[in-house]
Amino acid sequence: MTAADFTKELSVIEGKPALRELDELISKPLETKPNKKFYIALSITLSLFSLLVIGLGLTFYYGIGMWGNNNPVGWAFDIVNFVFWVGIGHAGTLISAILFLFRQKWRTGIARFAEGMTIFAVMTAGMFPLIHVGRPWLAGYLFPYPNQHSLWVNFTSPLLWDVFAVSTYLTVSLIFWYVGLIPDLAILREKTTHKIKKVIYSVFSLGWRFSNRHWQHYEMVYLILAGFATPLVLSVHTIVSFDFAVSIIPGWHTTIFPPYFVAGAVFSGFAMVQNVLIIVRKIFNYEHIITLDTLEKMNKIMLLTGSLVGYAYAMEFFIAWYSGVEAERFTFLNRALGPYAWAYWIMITCNVVSPQFFWVRKIRRSIPVMFVIAIFVNIGMWFERFVIIVTSLSRDFLPSSWAYYKPTYVDAMILIGSFGFFFTWILLFTKALPVVSMAEVKAVVDGAQPSHKEH
Amino acid sequence: MSDLTNKSGKKEFWKSLNDYNDDPGMQKKREDEFLENVTEEFNSENLSGISRRKFLALLAASTAVTATACSDYRDKGEIIPYNKRPEEVFPGVANYYASTCDRCASACGILIKTREGRPIKVDGNPDHPVNQGKICAKGQADIMSLYDPNRLRQPLKLRSEISWKKADEEIIAALNESVSQNKEIALITEGVTSPTAKKVLDDFKKRYATAKIYSHKLVNDESRKNAWLKSYGTKEYPTVKFDKAKIILALDSDFLGNEGNYLQNIRMFTSKREVVGKTDFNRLYCAEGRMSATGMMADYRFRVAPDQQLDFVFSLMNELNKMNPGLISDSLLKNKISDKSIYKFGDKEKLNHLLNDLNTNRGASIIYAGDTLPEEVHVAVNFLNEMLGNKTLYDYTRTIKSLIDETPSEDFSKLASSMKNGNVGVVIHFDSNPVYTLANEFGYEAALRKVKTVVSLTEEENESSAAGIYSLPVNHPFESWGDANVYRGIYSLRQPVIAPIFNTRQKESVLLAWISGSADSYNEDIYHQYLIKNFEESVFNNKNTLSDSKTFWYSALHDGMVQSDESAAESKFNPAALASVESKNNPVGYVVHLTESYFVGDGKFANNGWLQETPHPVSKVTWDNYAALSPALAQKLSVEMNDLVEVEVKGKRIIIPVLVQPGVEDRTINIELGYGRTVIGEAGKNVGVNANVLMHLGSASYILSGASLKKSSGNHLLASTQEHHSLDDAFVKEIHRTRKIIQEGTVEKYKKEPGFLHEEKENLFSITTDHQYTGNKWAMAIDLNKCVSCGACVTSCNVENNIPVVGKDQVEKGREMQWMRIDRYYSGTPEDPIVSNQPMLCQHCDNAPCENVCPVNATNHSPDGLNQMVYNRCVGTRYCSNNCPYKVRRFNFFNFRDHFADAYYENDLTSMANNPEVTVRSRGVMEKCTFCVQRIMEARSNAIRDGKTVSGSDIVTACQQACPATAITFGDANDPSSPIAKLREHNLSYHVLETTNVKPNVTYIAKLRNTHSEEIV
Repeated sequence: MTAADFTKELSVIEGKPALRELDELISKPLETKPNKKFYIALSITLSLFSLLVIGLGLTFYYGIGMWGNNNPVGWAFDIVNFVFWVGIGHAGTLISAILFLFRQKWRTGIARFAEGMTIFAVMTAGMFPLIHVGRPWLAGYLFPYPNQHSLWVNFTSPLLWDVFAVSTYLTVSLIFWYVGLIPDLAILREKTTHKIKKVIYSVFSLGWRFSNRHWQHYEMVYLILAGFATPLVLSVHTIVSFDFAVSIIPGWHTTIFPPYFVAGAVFSGFAMVQNVLIIVRKIFNYEHIITLDTLEKMNKIMLLTGSLVGYAYAMEFFIAWYSGVEAERFTFLNRALGPYAWAYWIMITCNVVSPQFFWVRKIRRSIPVMFVIAIFVNIGMWFERFVIIVTSLSRDFLPSSWAYYKPTYVDAMILIGSFGFFFTWILLFTKALPVVSMAEVKAVVDGAQPSHKEH
Repeated sequence: MSDLTNKSGKKEFWKSLNDYNDDPGMQKKREDEFLENVTEEFNSENLSGISRRKFLALLAASTAVTATACSDYRDKGEIIPYNKRPEEVFPGVANYYASTCDRCASACGILIKTREGRPIKVDGNPDHPVNQGKICAKGQADIMSLYDPNRLRQPLKLRSEISWKKADEEIIAALNESVSQNKEIALITEGVTSPTAKKVLDDFKKRYATAKIYSHKLVNDESRKNAWLKSYGTKEYPTVKFDKAKIILALDSDFLGNEGNYLQNIRMFTSKREVVGKTDFNRLYCAEGRMSATGMMADYRFRVAPDQQLDFVFSLMNELNKMNPGLISDSLLKNKISDKSIYKFGDKEKLNHLLNDLNTNRGASIIYAGDTLPEEVHVAVNFLNEMLGNKTLYDYTRTIKSLIDETPSEDFSKLASSMKNGNVGVVIHFDSNPVYTLANEFGYEAALRKVKTVVSLTEEENESSAAGIYSLPVNHPFESWGDANVYRGIYSLRQPVIAPIFNTRQKESVLLAWISGSADSYNEDIYHQYLIKNFEESVFNNKNTLSDSKTFWYSALHDGMVQSDESAAESKFNPAALASVESKNNPVGYVVHLTESYFVGDGKFANNGWLQETPHPVSKVTWDNYAALSPALAQKLSVEMNDLVEVEVKGKRIIIPVLVQPGVEDRTINIELGYGRTVIGEAGKNVGVNANVLMHLGSASYILSGASLKKSSGNHLLASTQEHHSLDDAFVKEIHRTRKIIQEGTVEKYKKEPGFLHEEKENLFSITTDHQYTGNKWAMAIDLNKCVSCGACVTSCNVENNIPVVGKDQVEKGREMQWMRIDRYYSGTPEDPIVSNQPMLCQHCDNAPCENVCPVNATNHSPDGLNQMVYNRCVGTRYCSNNCPYKVRRFNFFNFRDHFADAYYENDLTSMANNPEVTVRSRGVMEKCTFCVQRIMEARSNAIRDGKTVSGSDIVTACQQACPATAITFGDANDPSSPIAKLREHNLSYHVLETTNVKPNVTYIAKLRNTHSEEIV
């Protein structure tokens, strides 16, 4: 191919695999027994997860004092992790809902997996608001429920909005994910010979018979749910950003936060999806389904959102100076030059500098390089939240109450453990459900859709 | 059947056709309506064995069991109601008893608040003329010493229990044996303020012929007394009327910090810092080597090394004499001072101000030397005051008496050597701790081992009791009778407010039993009777009163004191005293200045967690002492805060962490005494370094010249409640001024432009409508002109509001729990910093930013303007604290009572100190200042009972009550006649961080500096 034919849509699936072959390939992990490698991986993630359990055990037994949080710095790793994980979740909904509405066919290969990640990331994130409280046994007070005290929650508190936003997000993502799974579950039901599996697949495929009518309804529901999930992509992180933007602390009290947080969330979400998919496509031989082209497109989104985030960093500085508010100016100078400057510069390097390499096509298409850059992005995005939360709190209005925050080993255990928790779910997911949507992929294989040319 | 009557002729209704037709089957059915076999099948034996009764019983029982099992009921011991209520005790109503504090030489009058028979709070006795209703941090925190779990509970002989009777018998035998063998009986006390105790000691001396009484206090005013003796022929020196002084020059004197009766000093000093009404300020000059609490208040401050003070005084005399030739007539003295120039001690302009002020305010100025300065400086200062005619400021109606003199160090040397030679039979530590307080050179501890019988009467085991044989537990002052006569004309009484908690005895009673010579003669009333008798003889009989002695006694007990109009005779200055005063030139090396700790005193309070945790007034360091060095000296040695240095004085050395303290003179090393106790309870263990070891024989060894200093390896983290920024770090410099946290001016400026503070009006607007407060609206005002940062408010709040002790490790992490803190800001240069202090507590903002972010509504606003915390509802998200611009909220990161020192304070005894009106907060709960809501509620219920409306003057918050400077005003902002409403409208009033528009209800009155310029210098 010397001259590209731009009149023809490129296929998102490489080669022209037989539809039956795709079914076989995608359902293979579900039909084979887990191998040794899987168990090794699972034991690693479970060990990390156990750190979370121990860390939480210590916290629940002794108190939040086991963490490094102190008087000006009331929130630290707890909320940093929360915002980080909610952000990770964003890519999934963006890929499955927004890109669906925009008819981006390349999404089909990665949508299912990204959605799965959304759910696990939101589950991980959702844990933090509940465990960060001083008296976790009373965390139920955060939910509005009728009680004999006649006490209601405080609807002006952004933390309460968080509760609603995150729980809505989890619910909608879960339903969206499940609806997308129905045709696949039906395929699996047809394929399996295992009795118990058959029952399970039968129940969950809701009597799907691949009839035209089913497809019609399905497409409609999927479209509606996509429409429903789309605003959530924007709203959830907007509301998470309100935790800070609504408060009065310099460095938090910033109107740029909602778009800036959403861009950041998509940024980190794509980085995480890309990281994990690179491994998945290799292990399960999905290279022709999750193609290099798809990965390149994801890198482009990272380049875009990374630049948006970089713009936001610059704009924050500008506004701090432009506002003329001394405390505001100090906070931003303090980020770059104060005791937490190291964290700030890690953030800038990872988030602003590293994605700029994606301007180069070669880097965009080099799997090892993009893998490393995405890891950097994730580190950078974690530090972004750290910089926003910890540096702003550690030096706020009154210099007399300033203090330096240092995390403890329990903080580290909970952070590492949250990764263990997340990846344990990911691993179980790869063996329990098709990580690529069989129905959708088959629909985008070259020649699967009759075009008018061929007619 | 055509009609409706049947055979019997009776009209009947039919139910079915069968019925109508008189079907025989139907007939049968009708007969068998109650079939027999229906009941035949019913057999109760086949049924379950549980009868209905039993079922119901079981149901009830299981419900009851489930219900009780789920409830958190634990047997909390028996609660026995009063069968016969004592006349004065109302459950839920506090009783107050007048008494006298026993903890320092000032003997302030106190009111002890008791609830259901247990003391829970100490306040000053308002009727007491010296402390006038105020009491210092140490006095406040004494409650915790009463309930200290490490108190000695039983008499011990060689660390094992012994009965009082047996101990008494053995000791009496030993005393008699000593007398018969003509061996000395040494009784060592720590100063005596009680005339009756003094009498007991005299009786003891009479009874046991070989007995000698020694007295030693680690930090004492002996050089002042001796100088007075030399200058005026008596040790009884007058107090100073600071309220009459226009110019005060403090020479290394912390008269507003911890010297003399600083409560009185603060009150008098701040009475001339009043901005309501006439602005008639005094001017405070300080010349000091260290940075003291008084130095922070100075309008002008000179850095003078403590060993240069005599030079400074001489040069003052010289310059003043030059200004007024003839002021000094003594030519000998003139010669001595003629070559002294003052201008080496600092900025020429400032020194000229000092000279001019002293010169023009003759008779209305005072030069006041510190207790730690040597005798000769005091003599010179006495002369200087004399020369300037300032003796009019001496208050001879309030002279300070000396019941028992500090024993000269030669006598202690003699004692130690005769102990070593076996010439001492018995040593009695009469509530004293000479092993810790006496300089190592005496070899006291080693000598003690040679003595057969060493008896320590003490509240807690200490270094001296541990080195001895008998440790006899004595009552806490709140369990004791007593009296005090420190000031001429004030005889105050102490009464017990709780029965002895442990098997302890009053120390005087123990002596009385020994005096009687029989262990059986002891009864718990023995000293009480002795006191009454002595009172009758020495007080009642001298007082011409119409009442009988018993009535007089009870009225004195009620008032806490008896006053009389006495006055000491003024005597003439003896110029000969100056003859021996020579200044030593050319100081070498560094000079170590040892001063008393502000809160743990001379180490007596080392086991009191509240006091250990009260931040140092200047450095804000808790739980440690340190070597305070000037920034220049630290740079020279290339040491930073927390680095260890080795301080050496004449071969004696200590290794101590450094604190770089702006304002310290470059040769001076300031170290606080009272730390490094080795035999002490849990709280005081491993706290600080014992700097007593640097002291030497002889009096006034607080200033040690010729010291050397070198960097040592390693470091030791000092736990400070405030970050220490370098003063010249441009990045964080002056933030407190640019952010308008601290707003200040000068008297000159204020007089010219009273409204200078509000020249730049910020136009703040709110997008919501403000809540209208129609009833009471509680508010506070804090006058920064008056605050000397003594910390009494902090401790008072701790006691009132059950604030836990968190320990050094938690203070290091920034988790101290005090609801009130005193912020300290520096501006100016590191050499000559200008210090601003600001008490900071919950501001009870109208637009409280903490309230709208709490997801569970645990913090909200009351209709009377209080920002409230609902502990039960709080889940501990800490969002409120994050959003508080003042960072005054405190989070229970742990159950601190359990966390501190292995639950040292989590026991039945210490919890008795808790105020029952205030919830003890659990872990995971946010807390903060409540404006003492319990007191507001009490005032409100009293008002409702009396059918009145509650007024602000009915309520005194704990901090306000404690503040010796009356810097804190509390009241109803909606009452236009109230002092608080006026202060809120005052020209100098401002709110911290006004531009955030949170509308705080704590108003600060800007500090005015009384300098000679309109700018702050």
